[in-house]
Parts: sequence; structure tokens; C-alpha cells
Amino acid sequence: MALLGSALAVFLAAVLAVGMTRWVGDVLNPLALTVSEKVPFSGGSPPDFHAWNRFHIRWYTMALLFLAFDMEMVFMYPWAVVFVREGLISPVEMLMFILILLVGIVYAWRERGFEWA
Amino acid sequence: MGVREALAGLARWSPVPVFPIVGGGARDLVRDLRLRPEVELVATPRHATLLLVAGRFPSGAIPGLAVVHDQIPVPRATVRWNGEVSDEISSARLVGGDEEDLIATLVALHREMMADPSRSGPPILPDVDAVEWRGVGPYGHGGKGMTGGTPYGRPLAERAGDRDGIELDQLPVTIGPWVGALPWGLELAVKLQGDLVQEVEVGPRLSTDPPTDVFSMATRKPMTVAVLELERARHHLRWLADALSIQGLSALGLRALRLGKILTPHHQREVRRLLAMVRRSGIFGLALNRAGGEVTGSQAKGLGPVARAGGVDDDARRDEPAYRELGFQTILHQKGDAAARWRQRMAEVTQSLDLSDRAGDRTAFGAGLVEGPRGRITANGPSPSVVVLDLLPQLLSGLEWGDAVSLVWSLDIDPTESVETHVDNRGAS
Repeated sequence: MALLGSALAVFLAAVLAVGMTRWVGDVLNPLALTVSEKVPFSGGSPPDFHAWNRFHIRWYTMALLFLAFDMEMVFMYPWAVVFVREGLISPVEMLMFILILLVGIVYAWRERGFEWA
Repeated sequence: MGVREALAGLARWSPVPVFPIVGGGARDLVRDLRLRPEVELVATPRHATLLLVAGRFPSGAIPGLAVVHDQIPVPRATVRWNGEVSDEISSARLVGGDEEDLIATLVALHREMMADPSRSGPPILPDVDAVEWRGVGPYGHGGKGMTGGTPYGRPLAERAGDRDGIELDQLPVTIGPWVGALPWGLELAVKLQGDLVQEVEVGPRLSTDPPTDVFSMATRKPMTVAVLELERARHHLRWLADALSIQGLSALGLRALRLGKILTPHHQREVRRLLAMVRRSGIFGLALNRAGGEVTGSQAKGLGPVARAGGVDDDARRDEPAYRELGFQTILHQKGDAAARWRQRMAEVTQSLDLSDRAGDRTAFGAGLVEGPRGRITANGPSPSVVVLDLLPQLLSGLEWGDAVSLVWSLDIDPTESVETHVDNRGAS
């Protein structure tokens, strides 16, 4: 019951906060936006097409980077357990593996996968 | 006193947010307003209180004026500087005179608006949607396309293949002519997929009367080399100020603008220091290396720094005796891309200052052909900006929007200069 009371209090506080924010906004700027003000600014040219559109955001470059670093970790944890026992062969194997993954990272870099903005 | 009145009282003393619409012959004047603490040139009408309309426009018509005006939130007002008031902005305050007169009017009008919002300029366009959103369902929902219907009368984007071979939406957008990311007056009709520019068309040219600068005058009568070269250095510094601001280096841009305004041949050390700071800013490695946009060979002919940045040894100054006496040699870069054009102009600033310092009273040109700061100016030929505007569609297609903006600024375009018959021949013998 106490839990329900707390949840209700949080809910009421949230409703109050939203209401207050809207009220303060209306007090400071009582004017509604005109049609011209609602239109996105593009330098004086009214838009001919609606802005909703589907485009290729190229997630695959991010997926490629994720896979490269994820696979690196997947292999490195068990490798860290056994590399003392296995001797010189294990760092060499790991180096080869990292180099192969590096090809993927370089490809993602070429595809501008590191440019987030 | 209410909260609104208190905030408006504070806003009265803030720098005046001004959105500029700039026509022919006013670019340098309006650009210099950035140096004034009383005003702030803002990037969009949403941030402005005042609309400043300056310069000449073809046949008096100002494209996009009504849309920009109505996008400024109330209270708003319009100032027309050194021009005529058109029917569209009959409520505009007309100001003549110099920069000081303009600043005084802007500050007074801003304070007036803050004190009494009821004096705000009335809207020009009707406050109605072009077409109501109406789909096929009883509540306006449903219909063709992703969202149904034609929202507010605007159809949804078209379909087209992208660079990865996927058939997705292609959004036609007209950007300009008064958007801060592009030179004042440049309008581009672009088709975008995300931020990738797929197709570009250059909008109507804002060509006005022939220019009256020293380079245009030099087509009719010989001018002193010292004056021409100092003006060339000033021009490149003003370009640098704009280009740096667009790249987010506003403080360096203001420094370049300030130096350009007071520039004399004795400022060579200050100029070298500024250019070193630009190089150290990392702009060549971080931003300009991606813009590409090679202009080389025959397509670069007559384009001044743009041509020389692409290794084309093309400079009318070589044929002038006065310049030969000064030991003038063209500076060349090879790659012809955006970064090379920056390096070319930066190198030519110091070269021009040096020439101006040593020129004495030597004169040059006067026979109809002049090497201007943007390229070759002839009595009846197209201006360099006309030629560059024709190149834009092929240069911009395939670039991301940010790189496209960098590329446009690297070309130093003045759309109002774009007149076919570039130079005023009246009075020429």
C-alpha cells in the first residue's frame, strides 16, 4: 500500500511539473505559432515536400565496429586464462587474430564509420 | 511588474539580434556589423528581432522576403538600409547613411519593440495552412505513403536508389537564398538522402547592377598596383572571415575580419600570425580534407585562385609590365581541391600585401581585362561567380551536406556578382 502511495505521489508530481511547465510557457509567450513560424526555416524557400522520409543511416558501419571489438573480447577472455600455459604461440595467434579484425576496422573507417555526427 | 515585462526589460539592453537579407553592393557593409558589439547577426529568423534588408535586388523584388519576415517571432520589425521600401515591407524603417546611422536605428528600434510589442510588424503571408492534412479515413488518417495523405498539402519524398544500391526516399529541398550556411543570395535546389546530396540545381541568379569596385574600374582605366593589391588582400581576408565562421572558428573569423578592415601594407606580420593560427587550428586535417571538389584543367580557366589552386598558371598580372617590374610570379598549388583553394588564397594575401608595399606609384590594367580576386574580369564576359555557379551541380553531387557547405565556401561565390555582362561599359572609350 505504501508502495502504491509513493507511486501515486511520483505520478502526481510529474503531472504537476508538466502542467506548471506548460503554464509558465503560456504566461511568457501567450501567442500561438503562426503557420509560417511552424514551417522549418530553409532560407526563405517554402518546403514543397514533407520532411518525413526514409533514408539509409548506414548502421552497418556501426555493426561492423561492434562486431570487431566484440569478437576481440570474446576471444581475449579465454586467451587471457591460457596464454601463460600455452607459451609463445598464444601471443602470435592473438596478434594474427587482431590483425584480421583490424582489416574490418580499417574498412569501417574508410566508410566513415567513426564519424558519429 | 510581471515576469514578461521584467524579461523584456532585460532584453532591451542585450545586443540586437538581427537577421540579414543582403543584396548587391552590401555584403561587405553587412559583414562588418559582426565587429559591432551593439548587434548580433543571427543564423535564423527564429533568433532575430529585427530583419535587416540591405543592398540592391534585381528589379526591386526580394526573393523569400515574406517567408523570412513571417518566421521572425513577434515583436519584430524591418529595417531597409540604403534602398527602397517595396510593397511587401511597407512597414519597414528606411535608413540611409553609414554604419553608425544604421546601428543607432537598429538599437532604437529594438528597444522600441521590447518596450511596446504591439508595434510589431504585421505578417505578410496569410496565417492558413496551404492545404489541410486530409487522408482517406474519417479522422484524416490513412491513404498512400508512409504516413498517409499529403500532410499540409505537401507530398512525401520520392523514391530513388542510394549509393548503397537501396531504393529509399529522396527528399527535394530548396535551401536559400538567405540561409547562413551558404553565401547570401545563393539558392540551391538539392535532393537529399539523409545528409547525402544526390542532385543539385542552382536557383535563380540575383544579379544586379554592374559592380563599382576598384577591379571593375580597372577595366576602364589604369589603377595603381598598390590599391589593387591591398584590395585583393582585403577581399581574401573577408573571405577567410566568412569561411572560418562557417567552420565554427568564429573567434579566428572575427580576427580576420578586423584585420581586413584596418589592413595596410604594414600589417604583414599580423597577417602572417593570423594565417599561422589558421594552419594550427587543424582545419586542413579535420574538415577540408573531406570536401574534395577538384577544379582543374580547362574548367578552371579564368577562375583566379580557384585555377591556380589546381595548378593552372593563369593570372592576367603576369602580362602587365608593372607587375613584371615587381618580379611578380604566380603562386600555384596542385590538388585543386577545397584545402588547396584555402592554401592558395592564404598565400596570395601575403603576396598581395608585399606587392602593395613595393608597388610605389606603378599602375596596371585599364584595357578591358583585369585579374580580380575571384578571377578574370573582362568587359563583356561572364563573371567568375557565373562560371563557378555552373560548376556547382557536378561538384556537390555525392557529397555529404557538411562537406558540400565547406566546398561552396572554398569557391568564394558572390551570387549577386553573377551578371553575364560583368563590367559597366558606360564611359569606356
